Amino acid sequence: MDSNIIIDLKNVNFYYGQTRALSNISMTFRKNKVTALIGPSGCGKSTLLRLLNRMNDLIDGTRVEGEILYEDQNIYAPDVDPVEIRRKIGMVFQKPNPFPKTIYNNISYGPKLTGVPVDDMNALVEQSLKQAVLWDEVKDILNQSAMNLSGGQQQRLCIARALAMKPDILLMDEPTSALDPISTAKIEELIEELKKDYTIIIVTHNMQQAARISDETAFFYLGNLVEYNKTEKIFTKPDVKQTEDYITGRFG
Amino acid sequence: MMNRRIKETLIKYLFFLFALVSVIVLGLIVFSLFREGLPIFQHTPVWDFLFGMEWYPTYDPPSFGIFPLIVGSVIVTLLAAVIAVPLGLLAAIYISEIAPKAVKEILKSVIELLAGLPSVVLGFFGMVVVAPWLQDTFDLPTGLNIVNASAILAIMAIPTISSISEDALYSVPREFKEASYALGATKFETIAKVIVPAALSGISTAIMLGMARAIGETMVVLMVAGGAAAIPESLFDSVRPMPASIAAEMGETPYRSPHYHALFATGMVLFFMTLAFNLIADYVSHKFKQTGSATL
Amino acid sequence: MNGKALRSNTMRWRYFKQYVFFTLVRGSAALITLALGGLIFYIVYHGISAISWEFITQPPTHAMTKGGIMPAIIGTIYLTFGAIAVGLPLGIASAIYLTEYAKQGRIVRFLKVGINCLAGVPSVVFGLFGLGFFVIFLGFGSSILAGSLTLGFLILPTIIGASEEALKAVPQTFREASLSLGVSKWQTTYRIVLPNALPGILTGSILGIGRAAGETAPIMFTAAAYFTAKLPGSVFDEVMALPYHIYVLATAGTNIEATRPIQFGTVLVLVAVVLGIDLIAIVIRGYMRRNKRW
Repeated sequence: MDSNIIIDLKNVNFYYGQTRALSNISMTFRKNKVTALIGPSGCGKSTLLRLLNRMNDLIDGTRVEGEILYEDQNIYAPDVDPVEIRRKIGMVFQKPNPFPKTIYNNISYGPKLTGVPVDDMNALVEQSLKQAVLWDEVKDILNQSAMNLSGGQQQRLCIARALAMKPDILLMDEPTSALDPISTAKIEELIEELKKDYTIIIVTHNMQQAARISDETAFFYLGNLVEYNKTEKIFTKPDVKQTEDYITGRFG
Repeated sequence: MMNRRIKETLIKYLFFLFALVSVIVLGLIVFSLFREGLPIFQHTPVWDFLFGMEWYPTYDPPSFGIFPLIVGSVIVTLLAAVIAVPLGLLAAIYISEIAPKAVKEILKSVIELLAGLPSVVLGFFGMVVVAPWLQDTFDLPTGLNIVNASAILAIMAIPTISSISEDALYSVPREFKEASYALGATKFETIAKVIVPAALSGISTAIMLGMARAIGETMVVLMVAGGAAAIPESLFDSVRPMPASIAAEMGETPYRSPHYHALFATGMVLFFMTLAFNLIADYVSHKFKQTGSATL
Repeated sequence: MNGKALRSNTMRWRYFKQYVFFTLVRGSAALITLALGGLIFYIVYHGISAISWEFITQPPTHAMTKGGIMPAIIGTIYLTFGAIAVGLPLGIASAIYLTEYAKQGRIVRFLKVGINCLAGVPSVVFGLFGLGFFVIFLGFGSSILAGSLTLGFLILPTIIGASEEALKAVPQTFREASLSLGVSKWQTTYRIVLPNALPGILTGSILGIGRAAGETAPIMFTAAAYFTAKLPGSVFDEVMALPYHIYVLATAGTNIEATRPIQFGTVLVLVAVVLGIDLIAIVIRGYMRRNKRW
């Protein structure tokens, strides 16, 4: 197996009750790359993202078929603890969702509760906030409520919170869709920076964003993986007509 | 790491056990009522107990016919409903559809406080204020009678009826109202022909629960209904509803005497009557659940 | 001409009906407000003269025709706190199961029907249950313990309802954020969901607690004493209680007419306690709703 592959999906089907949301998906994600998942609403891209850290477990009446291998282990095997998986695979959500706690406690919450041995919590908080390029803005107000931050700052705080767990992979579910253009630009810069150390999988509605930040792009339509290739190729010479139509704005 | 998963599973089942407590208590209530109540049927057959016309528990030989008590309960409950349903429903309509925001908040608090009034206080009020007034005004032998008890019970049932109806009215989808206004209907026509019909299941639930509250209420009927264990001939007669009989007599009854068992058996009848009201209310609210526009 | 007049007549008729209806609706609302206001005014007007420092701090004397109501106040405080100690933890735990752990389905439906039915059990039947089960079957006797357990189960459905509502109001995104960090379900519930729901749980539960303080029938056979001058020494002692004291004085006292002022005074104290508790809850809740941050 290619050592650059970190996640490997094999014939994955996913159901909400009787409805099939993903059909027979097989694909791989590569280490230290940014992979963008694109497609019209309801195409299954967010569902796929939430499969990777087993967040779909939280929804009643869902069912997974096939295998999702993370470092050669099927994360849906019966003896796998989803809690363990989520420590390795962090997630950033569509809307910034800091806890109603102080900025400091937002960051320290995960490491503290999951029993990760931390020599120096202050250093970890500082490091995480610096990685998320938020440190300079908040270093003097660490004990203030995170709810007082602006939307863009909140989202970077959420990224820092995920980074504090030192995950291997960062899943991002339309992380900029609730933000203004300036905050969006900051987050995009941040993603560029982060891919040196992390594998990033991002769902986005924004074509330009996918083109700007990702190395590889997967296009989904009606629960099917239509096309998956280098971003440059997808955006210049897609193989499939549907992909081209979507990218050029003819539907979606 | 299996350790944590086991712990999590244990926690889940622990909480399930806590959630089960309500059901267990309900079971224990039935158990206690049966354990202490069933022995009366060795003394008096079920039919004679339920439909016997004579409640003379302390005579020798005693007779345990609770039909007059059942009639007493039913009649004060029905009359209370006649008073409380229109008042409660109209108040709910006012709160949900008509009142300005500030008035609405105040009125909701008023109804909540009314619900919070201890029943013994209302019973006291009925005894000390309403009874003498009724007696003088209508020249009655006693002011402690059906009318008095029903009026006070109505005060207790109004908050239940009003708050649950209001929830039902409030959750009628806005499109319905807008569609009605767009057709040129007045506010009254919209309320009467669109909103109330759409909220009917919730309103029925409210009425059932309000009546359940009234039939089970004890202190008011104990203090205000007069206590005569006979079938009433007029609304100004005294009655002895079931809860009043239990509360008044249990204190003076020898432990495990037939009378004691008869009071527990009366409690069984009362329990199953309110249970029926509650199950009907539950059925109605689930069967005809309002789930937005799709249901109509 | 004719048609226009006719139409406006119809309109006038339609608005007249609306006018009549609105008057009825406003009248009902006014009547209910008036009933509460009148009742409270009447109680305060007649009760206030009985209230004094001695009334609140002294036990009754002269066969309860004179003196104060201190043992009844203390008894009600004990019973109320006992009921909270039983009802609050059980209620919150039940609600946590229903909102955080249970999957929608038959079991939840079964539990909910059970809780609704428990909520509908008449207070006097709770009294019988307390007598039959705690007092006799478990042998607690008529005592604070038996009364607190009875009242605690009486208010359990109210507390479950309030807690469920408060837990559901905690945004799902908080739970997702915590779980996505690899924090376990229980820790998420304990560290994130519960602290954010707690203010709502408490204010909602206070309304149930007011009910525990004011109930009479459930404690008549399980805890309440006609008269004891001494204060309870253990949870197995009987106590006097405000609601039962009112009932006793008003219906079975040694001199019902002569003790009217004491009766009104006791009613005023009880109403002040219960409605005071409720009012605090209502005000706090209003404040919380206005200052909601999520």
